[in-house]
Amino acid sequence: MLTIQNLTKHYKGSDKGVTGLDLEIEAGDIYGFIGHNGAGKTTTIKCITGIQDFDEGEIWIDGLSVKKDAMACKERTAYIPDNPDLYEYMTGIQYLNFISDIFRVSAAERRERIETYADAFEITSSLGDLISSYSHGMKQKLAILSALVHTPKLLILDEPFVGLDPKASLVLKDVMRNLCAEGGAIFFSTHVLEVAEKLCNKVAIIRDGRLVAAGRMEDIVAKGGSLESTFMEVAVNGQTD
Amino acid sequence: MVRQIELLTKAQLLNVWNINAVRYSRDRKKRAGMIAMAALRGLLVLMMAGYVGGAAYAYILLGMEDVLPMYLGMIAGVFIFFFGMFQAGSVIFQKNSYEVLCALPISQTAVVVSRFLVMYLGNLLLATAIMLPGMAVYGVMLRPALSFYVWGVVGTLFLPMLPMTVAVLFGAVITAVSSRMKHKSMVATLLSVLLVFGLMAMGSGLSVLEERGELTADLMRNFSGILSEAIASVYPPAVWLGQMMTDGSPRAAAMYFCRSIALFAAVMALVAVNFRRICRSLYSVTARHDYRMQELKIRSIPCALFVKEWKRYVSSSVYTVNTIMGPVLMLLFAVGIFVAGKEKILELVPVPPELILRAVPFLMAAMSCMMTTTATSVSMEGKQWWITKSLPVSAKDVFDAKILLNLAVIAPFYAVSEALLLIVFSPGLMESVWLLVLPVVLMTFACVFGITVNLRLAVFDWENEVTIVKQSASGAVGGFGGCLLILLGAFPVVFVTQVSAHLMRFAVLAAVLAATAFLYRRNARTNLGTVG
Repeated sequence: MLTIQNLTKHYKGSDKGVTGLDLEIEAGDIYGFIGHNGAGKTTTIKCITGIQDFDEGEIWIDGLSVKKDAMACKERTAYIPDNPDLYEYMTGIQYLNFISDIFRVSAAERRERIETYADAFEITSSLGDLISSYSHGMKQKLAILSALVHTPKLLILDEPFVGLDPKASLVLKDVMRNLCAEGGAIFFSTHVLEVAEKLCNKVAIIRDGRLVAAGRMEDIVAKGGSLESTFMEVAVNGQTD
Repeated sequence: MVRQIELLTKAQLLNVWNINAVRYSRDRKKRAGMIAMAALRGLLVLMMAGYVGGAAYAYILLGMEDVLPMYLGMIAGVFIFFFGMFQAGSVIFQKNSYEVLCALPISQTAVVVSRFLVMYLGNLLLATAIMLPGMAVYGVMLRPALSFYVWGVVGTLFLPMLPMTVAVLFGAVITAVSSRMKHKSMVATLLSVLLVFGLMAMGSGLSVLEERGELTADLMRNFSGILSEAIASVYPPAVWLGQMMTDGSPRAAAMYFCRSIALFAAVMALVAVNFRRICRSLYSVTARHDYRMQELKIRSIPCALFVKEWKRYVSSSVYTVNTIMGPVLMLLFAVGIFVAGKEKILELVPVPPELILRAVPFLMAAMSCMMTTTATSVSMEGKQWWITKSLPVSAKDVFDAKILLNLAVIAPFYAVSEALLLIVFSPGLMESVWLLVLPVVLMTFACVFGITVNLRLAVFDWENEVTIVKQSASGAVGGFGGCLLILLGAFPVVFVTQVSAHLMRFAVLAAVLAATAFLYRRNARTNLGTVG
């Protein structure tokens, strides 16, 4: 579903970025992406979603090149950023309708999906209010709804659980599992290692812009250990196999 | 308290003109952009100084040196007022830091005083840029006594107080009134436009010069008196400043200093006492939490993008007021011609009527595009730019919506203006076609040019939209640059009389269309991932 080969992106005048990153995410995967602050998680995600150009390498989504078939790739993808800055001058429902228009979702489908997910995340009654009146958590929920309204094949999330209440976190985890069960794929960054360990079947660890570990959760986490202890060894202390 | 004011003022000054970001940012491109913007501001100050110096020289040559100091005071006052009106929200009642400061052990008086100080210092620079060149020219040419300079410098220090305070009051009242309305931005826009034109109408005291006919020798003798009378009717403190500088009048000095300090202190105290109440009222948002699912309207992608642009536009009174002034001026220009009538216009502008008709389409387009929405529309996406970049929409669709919005804003003003001009001039068929078509082509060029400039000078990490709409390099270059290019196009049409006027207009039309097509195609090919 998502193939990243030799992704390299550096910022002028800064030592931050990503170097030679390779990843393979298959349909049905819930792929966790972990690393310390400034390791290159958001840069990688922005390159996948087309928000940022990259210097070298190639990214394919559903067999299509992000560089050559940008529009087709974006049609298959949904992205939820860590800080959901949405159009504050719109109401929640106007924003969802706008996203549905862009993804050409039919009237019946958009209504059904919005009703289902808005009820699940308990924001139906607030959809008529301006987004500027929303709390951080409500904006996060609306961003999730806008991602789900067009049923993406690939869902990219940057720190999705920050700001969500416990019930919404639970709902989101269910939604993620269902999407993967239906043949989709999820790639998300997180600092909550317990969530990653329980939710993901695969995980990648990035340190200073380079991938230091990637693969099935059970292969990455040492027997009897935890993702936290593995992360501390690999990403913080710099020990790799 | 003094320590708190000092600390808060210093902290805010670090943010003025991105000083701190220029010093510490590691992003070279961003730093270069900020330095270019600072250079542009410096250039604008130099241009202002050049204009003031030139005007001062002309005043002295015409024997009107008595009026010069009050003229300088009035220009500075008017500038500070109009720049300050929108600063009430962005500086005095700034939302972001208000919430942070509320949680700190800082008195609200210290917060208010520091914000007034920051605004005062910014306006003092503006006042100095106007007063200093004028005083220098006056000094070199007339060698006044030392008291002229002393009163001039002290007077300049107090110059921003009155216009700035009145601007804060107006700005706060507009924001407070509009914040209680359902369509906040639309109401704020309407009130601001009405205020600006109301003040311009009040300032028509200056038109007394025109009403008294041509500049006859008799009028020239009384010119100083008439001008000072006109300035007194518009802005009396400028007269006190002038009398203080030229005559050393203690009465004028007392009026000037006492009223400036009294009003400044009174408004600052009033704001300090009611600061939290005002901020709460300004920033309160109403959420009804009563939405029920209804039928959802489907739109095509171009239509959805246009509606999004429209909602963005009308959501910001700063954006709307500043960009609508041009089209409104175009309409006033047409109304003025309509009211005066063809004969009066031909009498006032002693050139052949066909020359007026040739110039009018360019003047209309230049006025309406003084500040295009497109010149700042990409930057106005701000921190939400990621949404556009991650959506499956082409750069062409995104920019088309922005261009269409600009044309839609101008359209009603254009339609009424054209109708009035066609009635007044009753031109023949070909002249009517030129009058109708040329402005549309020129306006479209200005809109496309605005996008081109904004793509190269885009800034997304802003906190206050005032910095983009009123203070960005893109707004200045994209708006005034487009306006200047349109006026350049008028030159061959109006002044080259050896070639057929139709042929010349056709050549300009073709050149403008070619330039528009070139820029449009270039913009449409932009990889949005590389912007911002």
